Amino acid sequence: MVDETKLAEKQETVETLRKVDDDLRLPSVPERNFFPKEIDIAPARLQTPAIGQRATRPDGRLHGLGQTKYIDDMFFPGMLHAKIKRAGVAHAKIKSIDVSEAQKMPGVQATLIGSEIPVNSFGPSLQDQPLLADQVVRHAGDGIAAVAAVTEQQALDALEKIKVVYEELPPVFDPIEAMSEDAIKIHNNDSNIYASKTIIKGDIEQGFKDSDYIFERRFTTQMVEHVPMEPHASIAEWDANGRVTLHSSLGRITLGRADIARTLEMPINRIRIIATVVGGNFGGKNEITTEPIISLLSKKTGHPVKCVFTREDEFISSTTRHPFIMDYKTGVSKEGKILARKVRIVCDGGAYCSWTETTLGKASILSAGPYNVENLHVDAYAVYTTKTVTGAMRGFGAPQVCFAYESHMDDIAAELGIEPLEIRLMNAFNEGSSSPTGQVLESVVVSDSLIMATERFGWKEWQK
Amino acid sequence: MTDITLNVNGEVKTASVPPETTLLKMLREDLNFTGAKIGCDVGDCGACTVLVDGLAVNACLMLAAQANGKEVLTIEGLSTLDKYHPIQKAFEDVAALQCGFCGPGMIMATKALIDQEQELTRDQIKDALSGNLCRCTGYTKIIDGVIDAYEKITGRKVPARNPRAA
Amino acid sequence: MIHRGKGIGCMWYPIGFTAAANPSAATVKVNEDGTATLLTGTVETGQGSLTVLAQIAAEELGVSTDDIHVVSADTDATPMDTGAIASRTTYVTGNAIKLAAEHAKQILFEVAAPMLGVQPNQLEAIDRKIQVQYFPQRSLPIADVALQAQFVMGRPPIGSASYNPPTVGMDPETGQGKPFSTYVYATQCAEVEVDDETGEVDVLYMSAAHDCGTAINPMLVEGQIEGGISMGLGFALQEEMLFNDLGQQLNPNLTNYIMPTSLDMPEIDVDIVENFDPTGPFGAKGVGEPTAVPTAAAICNAIFDAVGVRITSLPATAEKVLMAIKDKRLSNQRALPAAE
Repeated sequence: MVDETKLAEKQETVETLRKVDDDLRLPSVPERNFFPKEIDIAPARLQTPAIGQRATRPDGRLHGLGQTKYIDDMFFPGMLHAKIKRAGVAHAKIKSIDVSEAQKMPGVQATLIGSEIPVNSFGPSLQDQPLLADQVVRHAGDGIAAVAAVTEQQALDALEKIKVVYEELPPVFDPIEAMSEDAIKIHNNDSNIYASKTIIKGDIEQGFKDSDYIFERRFTTQMVEHVPMEPHASIAEWDANGRVTLHSSLGRITLGRADIARTLEMPINRIRIIATVVGGNFGGKNEITTEPIISLLSKKTGHPVKCVFTREDEFISSTTRHPFIMDYKTGVSKEGKILARKVRIVCDGGAYCSWTETTLGKASILSAGPYNVENLHVDAYAVYTTKTVTGAMRGFGAPQVCFAYESHMDDIAAELGIEPLEIRLMNAFNEGSSSPTGQVLESVVVSDSLIMATERFGWKEWQK
Repeated sequence: MTDITLNVNGEVKTASVPPETTLLKMLREDLNFTGAKIGCDVGDCGACTVLVDGLAVNACLMLAAQANGKEVLTIEGLSTLDKYHPIQKAFEDVAALQCGFCGPGMIMATKALIDQEQELTRDQIKDALSGNLCRCTGYTKIIDGVIDAYEKITGRKVPARNPRAA
Repeated sequence: MIHRGKGIGCMWYPIGFTAAANPSAATVKVNEDGTATLLTGTVETGQGSLTVLAQIAAEELGVSTDDIHVVSADTDATPMDTGAIASRTTYVTGNAIKLAAEHAKQILFEVAAPMLGVQPNQLEAIDRKIQVQYFPQRSLPIADVALQAQFVMGRPPIGSASYNPPTVGMDPETGQGKPFSTYVYATQCAEVEVDDETGEVDVLYMSAAHDCGTAINPMLVEGQIEGGISMGLGFALQEEMLFNDLGQQLNPNLTNYIMPTSLDMPEIDVDIVENFDPTGPFGAKGVGEPTAVPTAAAICNAIFDAVGVRITSLPATAEKVLMAIKDKRLSNQRALPAAE
């Protein structure tokens, strides 16, 4: 229980102190940040069995009190602020980078360019992305150089003084154009196609022959950004034992640590990553970004270094959702049963691979929809273009193909005069159905979900 | 440098800051109130919402000098040693926040709304929160939290939406 | 004129990585008073995963969610985890935690067995007690057993384990294989209004029925679904990164990159489809990503139902919908028979 008398006494003392402080303008009274000292625990958190309880979140309480410390809420003594210079051109050879003027700017403590990074490449499947571009720029958001300064504004001002000489190369923005043999090769490979997937099940030709109707349609989707409310952020502190401690908004710290160790050519056990509560991920914070850069800036300066992406950095340099071009061809019986489906996917793979291979794989497997399709042929390609990096984003290609296969399904239903719910129930996976990869599916509830969602909607009674 | 004196959460605070300093930067870096967040720094996202003389403002769009002599309430000033503010309690109970980054701004915008002591509908609530972006929740549980808090604070009822099917 | 329409989007989605190892490890330490500490290398990125993981550990130990403290996301202190990606945390990390808690519980059983005069395999952990199965009156508080284990028997009840979903690699020519351990299924339905004079689409209502196996925490599952719908709605109608001829983004800010606000959101009803996956922790699968998958399809099908135009290119902005409506009118005009 709170002792009211003591509380009043304390309040009075504080008031007196405050008066003194106000006169002297000394900040010896701490900032007011009150929270109840008697903790209040929601009953659901105390129940057994624990499974199925609507338990509240201890971190949720801190969020609401404004007490969660995200990266940008942490300040360390002597901490510097880093900012990244972006290319601004989509495709170019870098002839030279001159940071000498930037180094003379007020507050600037250190700069870093790509050639100073021990292994200047990373990526979860192909290591084709530089941390800071040093030879070739492949999209306008590529980082070119980093500056660490006493304040963020000083770092931003210094970026303006970095002189980069480019020899511009022709950009390629359209993935279909990039696929052609005479297109400029963005990574000096034989082709800009850097990943492909094929799924073949049954006999596609026979399936089309047996079909009463054949439907074809092209669907396309756009490039989308994750927009986590907290931009990417990290703080690096290099210590006298040659260890670096990173506070980072990274969503996969174990693998991220290995990636950082590789770029810095350091033993893994000299790297510590502490991921605080991440302010939104959605797939966008599954890659290292500036962690090796600020580690090296911290090593150079002996100070902790923080780098927080501006909202613009977030858009132009972090990963995004792949635009897809999808050609669907579906053969159906007159009753509405899908007999054959051919899918061709071209995935705009952006400037670097990132999680594209995973995206392409999942998109291919899922592209036939949650339906029994005995005869299936899927071909999918990922293509480099000189656009923002495309990577993991909530669904790994599934939102794109779902838009296509479900739109296609309603086209078919409308043409055949079948109710959209009925055509789905007719084709839906059941327990034991064989997936496009020949996997026997278990705990399948496609029909249940169709019935439940439409009943809740009032589908059958619904009128325009 | 500009000398700024303002009242934050009931305490008089002073700081000497460069003239271009925003209220948000001053709160976060000079006064250590990190509850208001930098989501965009140009007034689009509302993560920095604080109350200035009772009105919700984007602290990133207000210069510290413009807040000179004013009363500022931040998320840190809502609860007391004895109890959570009902909005904070409601948000926790219904799991209104996920990553939480929009939370302090969302809660301050909610406080400004409830303080107006009007009859509220769901649409008015949606309208009042439209300047605060959230990427995690679809706003659904946030609106539940606002309604819960509003009903507890004011004793009024927000008309329920029409139920769909049983 | 305003037209109303309804549309369905149905989907399936896998849990975890595609035919690639994506293990998680975990450690569960039961304290002397029967509370426990869980160490996990996964990261809380907003979904509430730490609460769900605490519930899994609590269930296995027969204690409450609040009895579990979770330490996460520090590479110096927490075990390996593939991370908050691919909707894998509840399923993969959850399975690792369940196994780790099971190991710790086994130590408690071995310590409690002689105290209760039975074999360890006759015991169960329930309601903060270690009790003889079918004989709830023969029990000991978990705190007593944990204290005995640590200070008398010298066997601290700590368990560590790892889990990796079993998969079979895909044939490079045909793609045949078992790329994932399990999948989830879901349907969303949308009701929209389309203004045929402006092309504007207003999503009024959505119902969503999602399978996630056992819902470990229904409140957090609902939160994922509602949030996924908002992201799906942005994908369907608003969001697009636009570039100029030089490859520079034209809208790298939240002023011009339009994402859903509270005003854009429909009223939502969420249902969780009852299901149990025997391979998941207490039957659970996952829910994070799939929530954002079928929304765009449901909305575009509802637009089709409302005004008869098929949007084939996302996002279905007002301009695009209006253009499609005009094109349709034009083609309908052509189809009219010649005047007499």
